[in-house]
Amino acid sequence: MKLLEKLEILADSAKYDVSCSSSGSNRKNVPGGVGNAHLPGICHSWADDGRCISLLKILFTNSCIYDCKYCANRISNDIRRATLTPDELCELTIQFYRRNYIEGLFLSSAVIKNPDYTMELIIKAIKKLRHEYRFNGYIHVKSIPGADTRLVYEAGLLADRMSINIELPSVSGLKLLAPQKRHEDILTPMGFVKERISESKELTIYKKQQLFVPAGQTTQLIVGATRDSDLKILNLTEHMYQRYRLKRVYYSAYVPVNDHKDLPALNTSPPLLREHRIYQADWLLRFYGFKAKELLDEGHPSFDNHVDPKCDWALRHLDQFPVEINKAPLETLLRVPGIGYKMAERIVRARRVGPLSFEDLKRMRVVLKRARYFITCNGKYEGGLDLDEKLLYPVLSDEADQKAMIGQISMFG
Amino acid sequence: MVYITDGSFEGLLTAVFEAYQNRENPEDIISRSTLQLSMVIEMREIITDPEKSDRVYKAISEKISQEALEMVYSAYLSEAPDCGLYIYRFIRIGMKIGKKVCHYLQNPDVLRVHDLSRKVFGETHRFLGLLRFKRIQNGIFYAQYEPDHNITMLISGHFAERLSDQPWIIHDTGRDVCALYDTREYVLMQGHPPFIDEAQPEEEFERLWKGYFKAIAIESRKNPRLQRSFMPVRYWKNLTEKRL
Repeated sequence: MKLLEKLEILADSAKYDVSCSSSGSNRKNVPGGVGNAHLPGICHSWADDGRCISLLKILFTNSCIYDCKYCANRISNDIRRATLTPDELCELTIQFYRRNYIEGLFLSSAVIKNPDYTMELIIKAIKKLRHEYRFNGYIHVKSIPGADTRLVYEAGLLADRMSINIELPSVSGLKLLAPQKRHEDILTPMGFVKERISESKELTIYKKQQLFVPAGQTTQLIVGATRDSDLKILNLTEHMYQRYRLKRVYYSAYVPVNDHKDLPALNTSPPLLREHRIYQADWLLRFYGFKAKELLDEGHPSFDNHVDPKCDWALRHLDQFPVEINKAPLETLLRVPGIGYKMAERIVRARRVGPLSFEDLKRMRVVLKRARYFITCNGKYEGGLDLDEKLLYPVLSDEADQKAMIGQISMFG
Repeated sequence: MVYITDGSFEGLLTAVFEAYQNRENPEDIISRSTLQLSMVIEMREIITDPEKSDRVYKAISEKISQEALEMVYSAYLSEAPDCGLYIYRFIRIGMKIGKKVCHYLQNPDVLRVHDLSRKVFGETHRFLGLLRFKRIQNGIFYAQYEPDHNITMLISGHFAERLSDQPWIIHDTGRDVCALYDTREYVLMQGHPPFIDEAQPEEEFERLWKGYFKAIAIESRKNPRLQRSFMPVRYWKNLTEKRL
């Protein structure tokens, strides 16, 4: 088989993995080496679906012994199969890197023979890339559920980031759709990597730093393949960030690739708006100081289709508004609908030089479409409406967002 | 009074120096190349003087801040026709209020410099990703691009660190400015770079990259508008995966 054909098959098989980020590591180049990592990460291109391409995202092989119902590469599917040699993989990575097509490699694999064997193949390939090809760019390695922790450790010494996919939001979902993957086989290595990461940070006090997964670990779960609620997903997400110190949880709207009675029908559109809302809430947890229980609870288990999760929260807490732009602390500004992290910081810095008026905010390009109803500037309120949920809900509905989502689905779904 | 400079950064800083020295408040500071002959105005020709520009340079860094210096320099690289005037006003305010000038965005002059600077750093970051090299004869890697702003100086250091064992040329074809790197250091020069005219298009890895690019997109999530918002069409002619 020609290399181009292998590349196409193995990229096609890898494309449902969402993560492509190259951030969080500042691995340095060495004399005679190739590459380094750039702390904030770099996007090198954007694919036709609008997703960023940063790393060469590819499977080592797509020949799988498992039969997970949601997966395109399951053993019972009749698809083209391919396996790379370690040299082919290294050569592709290095040559793409030298031309600045990519920021590094994201290597994953279907499970061939057994988890340990698969993990050993992955380690052999990235060892070659680091040592023989002297590659110092970014490497994200997938940990194979069920692989020995000794192998996970070895991979972690070579990689910048590791991930192990939780796949489905509930244990029952995993049992139903991926009966050969065990929940413990996902969480045990995640806990193990978390411990080793914090150890490697402590060790640096006594001796030269031995890098172990410097960019941290991430996970991914599928939205819409099972009946799990937004509440269930958000609680799980919060637990992942707190318990396992994950850098990111990624969500992928389920794209029907297989026909099965336990799965949504093949003509179902991927739930992109739902995925979008969950990402918005994920941001609120990580950067805006929100707790999952503030956003959703048993009486309110799903996000609203028409307003984003922060607006949704604000409408239920109108007694906390309006807030004074010139006085409110940063963490309060962050809770104003329409004010993002960058803008909140910009406001806090600018008001130290002098007071801010509504016009100043406009000129500084703070988006006031939503924020105007929730703020005062020097005591002046320019919202023009009473702070009343019934009046505010229609003006806050983000129809533009929605149209984009729906248009996208109906055009191509 | 309008000051006319030679268009260099040193020329602009010299103009700032003279405005202070002459106790003048020029209405505009523009470069000779953007001067329109039909304009009937009172003007003063500024002769670039390294000593004067050095003094302003040091004053910005010491009396305002390093951040202000970076903002001013990057705003200058935007090549916006009005950047000279706003940089001058920015420096005036900075000399009065110090380092907080960088955050004084309620002020329209500061905001303009801030915006220009952000545009330039934004494009710089973008091209760290979007620049494409191809291997030409002698093992040299050649990249051509056409940035909106004059950023070749700003992106070269990154590639000298990262691709340190391969000789490369980065060529801004719009301005005909290039950076040449010989595996030890890089230099900037004005004009057409050497060796590139007989450059053959590279086949193998370009074909592999295009194949990868197609395969990695999810068909049922196709979204050309989103793609173009990140990767504007004006950059496509130099993008291996998008070039027709």
